[in-house]
Amino acid sequence: MAGNNGGPWGGGGGSGGGDDDRGGNRGGGGRRPNGNGDGPQIPEIDELVKKGQEQLRVLMGGKGGGGNGRGPLGGSGGPIFTKGTVGLAALAAVGLWVYASLYTVRPEEQSVELLFGEYVATGSSGLNFAPWPVVRAEVIPVTTERTVDIGTGRGQAADAGLMLTGDENIIDIDFQVSWNISDPRAFLFNLRDPEQSIRAVAESAMREIVAQSELAPILNRDREAIAQRLEELIQSTLDSYQSGVAILRVNFDRADPPEEVIDAFREVQAAEQERDRLQSQADAYANRVLAGARGESAQLLEEAEAYRAQVVNEAEGEASRFVAVLGEYENAPEVTRKRLYLETMETVLGGLDKIIVDDNIGGGGEGGGQGVIPFLPINELRRGGGTN
Amino acid sequence: MNKSTYLIPIVVVALVGALSSIFIVDEREKALVLQFGRVVAVKEDPGLAFKLPLIQEVVRYDDRILSRDVDPIEITPSDDRRLVVDAFARYRITDVEAFREAVGVGGIRTAEIQLDRILRSQLRAVLGSVSSNDILSTDRQTLMDRIGNASRIEGRQLGLEIIDVRLKRTDLPAQNLDATFARMRAEREREAADEIARGEEAAQRIRAQADRTVVELVSDSTRQAEIIRGEADARRNNIFAQAFGQDPEFFEFYRSLTAYTRALQGNNSTMVLSPDSEFFDYLKADTGRQ
Repeated sequence: MAGNNGGPWGGGGGSGGGDDDRGGNRGGGGRRPNGNGDGPQIPEIDELVKKGQEQLRVLMGGKGGGGNGRGPLGGSGGPIFTKGTVGLAALAAVGLWVYASLYTVRPEEQSVELLFGEYVATGSSGLNFAPWPVVRAEVIPVTTERTVDIGTGRGQAADAGLMLTGDENIIDIDFQVSWNISDPRAFLFNLRDPEQSIRAVAESAMREIVAQSELAPILNRDREAIAQRLEELIQSTLDSYQSGVAILRVNFDRADPPEEVIDAFREVQAAEQERDRLQSQADAYANRVLAGARGESAQLLEEAEAYRAQVVNEAEGEASRFVAVLGEYENAPEVTRKRLYLETMETVLGGLDKIIVDDNIGGGGEGGGQGVIPFLPINELRRGGGTN
Repeated sequence: MNKSTYLIPIVVVALVGALSSIFIVDEREKALVLQFGRVVAVKEDPGLAFKLPLIQEVVRYDDRILSRDVDPIEITPSDDRRLVVDAFARYRITDVEAFREAVGVGGIRTAEIQLDRILRSQLRAVLGSVSSNDILSTDRQTLMDRIGNASRIEGRQLGLEIIDVRLKRTDLPAQNLDATFARMRAEREREAADEIARGEEAAQRIRAQADRTVVELVSDSTRQAEIIRGEADARRNNIFAQAFGQDPEFFEFYRSLTAYTRALQGNNSTMVLSPDSEFFDYLKADTGRQ
C-alpha cells in the first residue's frame, strides 16, 4: 500500500526501488535508478503532459498512417486531438499525481516525510499528502509492541543463554524485551539496524548485571530488581544512541542453573525439605514425650496426695481407737488388762500349733525344758497337726 | 523541416544531463563527490545536490550509527585465568573524506575489518591488565569505557567516531565449563549435606530438650510427691505421739498385744509353751498362781 502511494520506497521509481536503499549504503551509486524514474518529472507537469501528447501523437500517427510519410499525416493528425481530449488527459494525469501523493497512516503508525531526502515533517494518523515525487513519506508502525527474545534456543555452550555470575557460577537466563518506537525520526535515521542493536544492548546489559551479582540472589529474590535495573540500563544505553526506541518492559522467562547442574540444585531443595521434615518429626516427638511427662507428673502428685490422705486417716483412726480403749482401761485397769491379754492369747494361740512341754519332764531344774526342745521333731509334729 | 524531429533528441539529452547532474542525499547518508577519483565535495546534509555529469561521481556512505560485533576471543586477565570475551561497538562515519582515504573502495567492509582489529587489540590490552575478578564486578562499566576511549582514538584515524564499546560475553572457555559445573555441583551437594546436617542437629536438639524437660518435670513432681509423703508421715507420727503419749505403759502393752495378733496370724507357726506360763495359771489349779 505504501508502495502504491509513492511511500517509503518511492513507488514511482519502479521495481528497483525496494533494493535501492541498501544498494545505496554499500556501493553508493545505487540510488541512480530511482533518480532515473523521478528525475524527468521534476521540472514541470505541463512539460510532462506536452511530452506525453507528442509521444501519443507519434504513436497514433504511426498506426493510422501505415507506410505513408510522416509529415502530412502528422499535420492532419493534429485536429484529432481536440481541446476536450487534452483536458481529459491532463485531468487524468493530475488525478494520478494526487493519487500517488496521498497516503494513509493508520492509528498505530506514524510517517516521516522527506523532501529530497531531507527530513521535513512527521505525519500522524489519517490521510496525509506528500507531493510526489518531491516529498517521500515513510510509514512505520510506532505503537505496535515488538519483542526480542534473548537466550532462548540454546544449542551450543557458547550461546547466549549461559552467563557467568560474579561468583563464577553459570546461570541460564532467558528473557524478552518488549519495545516500541518513541521517536520515528530518530528510529529511522539514527540506527542502521535497530532490532539487532536492541538485542546486543539487552544482552550486554544482562551480562553486565549478572556479572556483578552472585548466583543465589538472581535465582530467587532479586529477579524483580534485576528486571528493573535491566530495563533502565537498556533504555539509557539506547537513549545514548538516540535510537528513538522505548523499552516497555523486560520479562524473565527463566533464570535457572544450567541443565548440567540443575539436579544438584533440586537436591538442595529436597534437602531443605528434608531438614524441615526432620525438625517436624523432632517437634512431634517433643510434644509427645512432654505430654507424657506432664501426665506422669500429675500422677506422681496425685499418688502422693492419696498417700497423705491414707496415712493420716489410718493414723487418726488407729489413734482414736487407742484413745478409746485407753479410756476404758483407765476405768478398770486390772480387769481390762487381764481381759485384753487373755483375749489376745486366745486369738493368737487359737490359730497356732502348740506344743506344751513340762519343765519337770526331762528333769534338770530350771533349764530342763530347753534341754528337750532341740530334740523335738517339730516338722513332723506340725504335719500331723496340720492333717488333724 | 519539422521541429519535433530536433526537439525530441534535445529534450532527451537535456533530461539525461539534468538527471545525471542532480542527486539526492538522504537523511541517512553522507556523500562524496569524486572527480576522476579526487574528492571535490563533501555533502554532509541531506537534500538536493549537484555535480557535473560524466566526469564526477557520487559515493554515498551511511550516516547512521552502525554496529559491529566482534567475534569471541579468548583473553588472559592478569591472574592467568582465561575468559572468552566478545563485544560490540557502535560507531558512525563522521569524516567521510578520511574514511574514504583510509578504506579506499572497500568501503564499510574494509572498515569493519580494521575496526575488528582495533577492538580486539584494545580488548586484549585493557582486559589483560586487570584481574578476572575486576571484569566480573562493578568495574565492568569502567573497563568498557576504557576500551571505548582507547578505540575512539584509533577509530578517528579511520574517519570513524566510536560511540561506545560494550562487552557482551565474559564467559569461561568451553573446556573450563565442565570443571565449573562440577564445582557448582559440589557446592550444591555441600549445601544439601549442610541442610540435612542442620536438620538433624535441630532435631537432636529438640529431642534432647524435650527429654530434659521430661526429666525435669518428672523429678520435680517426684520431689513434690516426696514432700507430701514426708508431711503425711510426720503428721502420722504426730497423731500417734499425741495419742500414745497419754499412757506409755498401756501403749506398750496394747501395742504388743496388737503386734502378737498380727505377727502370729496364720497357721504356719508352731509354739512350744511351758505350762508354767501365766496363760496356764488356771490350767493347773483353780486358784491360779499363788
